[in-house]
Amino acid sequence: MQTRIISLLVEDHPGVLTRMSGMFTMRGINITSLTVSPCETDGLSRMTVAIKGTESELEKIRKQISNLIEVVKVVDLRAEGAIIRDLCLLKVHTKDSDTRLEVMLLAESYGANIMDATQDSVIIELTEEPGKIDRFVDLMQHFGVKQLFRTGLTAIGRD
Amino acid sequence: MAKVKLSGAKIVVEELKDEGVEVAFGIPGGVLLDLYDVIYKQEAIRHILMRHEQCAAHAADGYARVSGRTGVCIATSGPGATNLVTGLANANMDSAPVVALTGQVVTSAIGTNAFQEASTFTITMPVTKHNFLVKQTEDLPKVIHNAFYIASTGRKGVVLIDLPKDVLSDVAEVDLHPKETFAGYKPNIKPNKVQTKKTAEVLANAERPLILAGGGIISSDASEELRSLAELLGAGVVTTLMGKGAIPENHPLCLGMAGMHGHLYANRAINECDALLALGTRFSDRLTAWQLDQFAPDATLIHVDIDAAEINKNMPVDIPIVGDVRLALHDILKWLEKKQKLGGKSVWLQRIKEMHSACEECIHDIRRAGSSVSDMFIKELSVILDDDAIVTTEVGQCQMFAAHYYMTKKPRTFITSGGLGTMGFGFPAAIGAKVAAPDKKVVDIAGDGSFLMTCQDLATCIESDIPVVVCILDNRYLGMVRQWQELFFDKKYSHTGLGLTPDFVKLAEAFGCYGERVEKPEDLEGALNNAFESGKPAVIDMIVGKDDKILPMIPPGGGIIGMIGTERCKHV
Repeated sequence: MQTRIISLLVEDHPGVLTRMSGMFTMRGINITSLTVSPCETDGLSRMTVAIKGTESELEKIRKQISNLIEVVKVVDLRAEGAIIRDLCLLKVHTKDSDTRLEVMLLAESYGANIMDATQDSVIIELTEEPGKIDRFVDLMQHFGVKQLFRTGLTAIGRD
Repeated sequence: MAKVKLSGAKIVVEELKDEGVEVAFGIPGGVLLDLYDVIYKQEAIRHILMRHEQCAAHAADGYARVSGRTGVCIATSGPGATNLVTGLANANMDSAPVVALTGQVVTSAIGTNAFQEASTFTITMPVTKHNFLVKQTEDLPKVIHNAFYIASTGRKGVVLIDLPKDVLSDVAEVDLHPKETFAGYKPNIKPNKVQTKKTAEVLANAERPLILAGGGIISSDASEELRSLAELLGAGVVTTLMGKGAIPENHPLCLGMAGMHGHLYANRAINECDALLALGTRFSDRLTAWQLDQFAPDATLIHVDIDAAEINKNMPVDIPIVGDVRLALHDILKWLEKKQKLGGKSVWLQRIKEMHSACEECIHDIRRAGSSVSDMFIKELSVILDDDAIVTTEVGQCQMFAAHYYMTKKPRTFITSGGLGTMGFGFPAAIGAKVAAPDKKVVDIAGDGSFLMTCQDLATCIESDIPVVVCILDNRYLGMVRQWQELFFDKKYSHTGLGLTPDFVKLAEAFGCYGERVEKPEDLEGALNNAFESGKPAVIDMIVGKDDKILPMIPPGGGIIGMIGTERCKHV
């Protein structure tokens, strides 16, 4: 099993997301991350889809997705070539001021931003490549993560 | 073109006319009143009132396969649309160009569980090539133009347009007949020159070349090119079920249909060849069987298909070519014609000759030892009907008897449900076929189980004067499932006996059709003549034995050279 990131340029029509995700459903492939957003061209949207599967499964699904009428372009972003980012918001429990200080220092060392702090919690924002976010979240589990939000990854290929 | 002010319903009909639509198969309903009001007031499009929406879709499908044009079917919202689904899935699986129009509740009521509301857009998404839910009348011209463009180009298929009632009744100012299409839809029809040249080299140097002709040959009208290539190369030709008719089955190089219920020697040839040119086929499991190491093990495998997603999907190939089969054949022929010498295949030609005659002998010898009555009926039919006659089939034993023993001579004359295997398909498809080709004889080879699923449309045949003939292989069983129960489930005939099925002759007569019962194959010709002479739709009830089996076959899990029941075949 490997992870593949596919970037799709699609027509901004109702139903496109259902059509696209239905293609994965029909083939029993699980989407691990999905982001949809406007792009540089009016009337088109960009979808960044991360999927897990075998090489041949992923190749088949890529061709099937290309067949969809409203998919204008499919780019296969191999992990090694692309710049990948994920945004994470997490609320960490801080039982006392020492803990708060430690959490804030660790956050700073990861390049994360402190968005808010209360007596017993800190809200942290981190935009990074997904593996680094995983490590940061693991670290924060030690203090107690009350809530975790991740946007899912987005990626851009290099020229 | 100047803008015109029209109601949505009028726009729909104007655009259908512009697309060259001559006939539509449908059933009206509450939300379609505006559309049917416009249909009522015009004569350019013939509307055939069906008696079930599934039949409307199958009829449009049959019409499309026989005429090569896009078939059109119409159904109302909710149950009308859900009834259509089987027919749409069937046409889409077999890449038949069909445009379906469905009514929908008014836009303001969508999502409220209104009367006769179903989410047709989401329900039909996985069974269509594309579908539209039109939200405003202004969008109709572009949507309809694109629907026909998408259905009839690239890998053909089904496009559904869901039409809310207010979109049909509202008036809008529009430009009719737009030409713009979607940026993301550019069917790739031109084959790669490097690949076609490489193919020509492989074929020229092969000692045992074989061509596997699929439904793509028929949908791209490439029969002549196929035949030229086979004759130029001295290559054998086998077909898939969908490819039946791609080459005349009595052609000396043709070894008939391959696969699970195919001809013994078509399958042997696939196993023996050293170059296999597969044209417009998707290597379905009913063709390749399950032991893929028996499928062309020594061959260089070349696959031409218009759908890039089919390449390497079911079968790993050596030379992939994405493009229109006819254009690819054209290019391959051009490369080959430049070669001086293509001979040196006399051993293979001799082998093809002996395999061809072994198969042909089985079919021509109507009462060959070991034949079942079902075999004999189909062999009779093959002799009686002329080369232009169109045969449709239901699904199950009747379909495989037809595929195996009916000799198809021309493309678009053998219409069957290949991918979905839809019982009840053959009869409404015959209606569509007869509408597409009113001067040709149209016969549905049916089983009693299948025919009962859609027989109500005898009423359509009578009312709209569509004289098709249904020939039922009547064994009072769901024969194919029974055959499997006999062979693989210890003869435990669980729920395959149909018991007291109706008297099909009386059933036909009740609808005002002609009916006749035939007990012996040799009496079929007389009955068929009576049916054709009656000028009416007809049902011929052919009584066959419940133990008739369609053999030889590849058992489940087997490979292409592991056929069972070959005792009756001539061995060469």
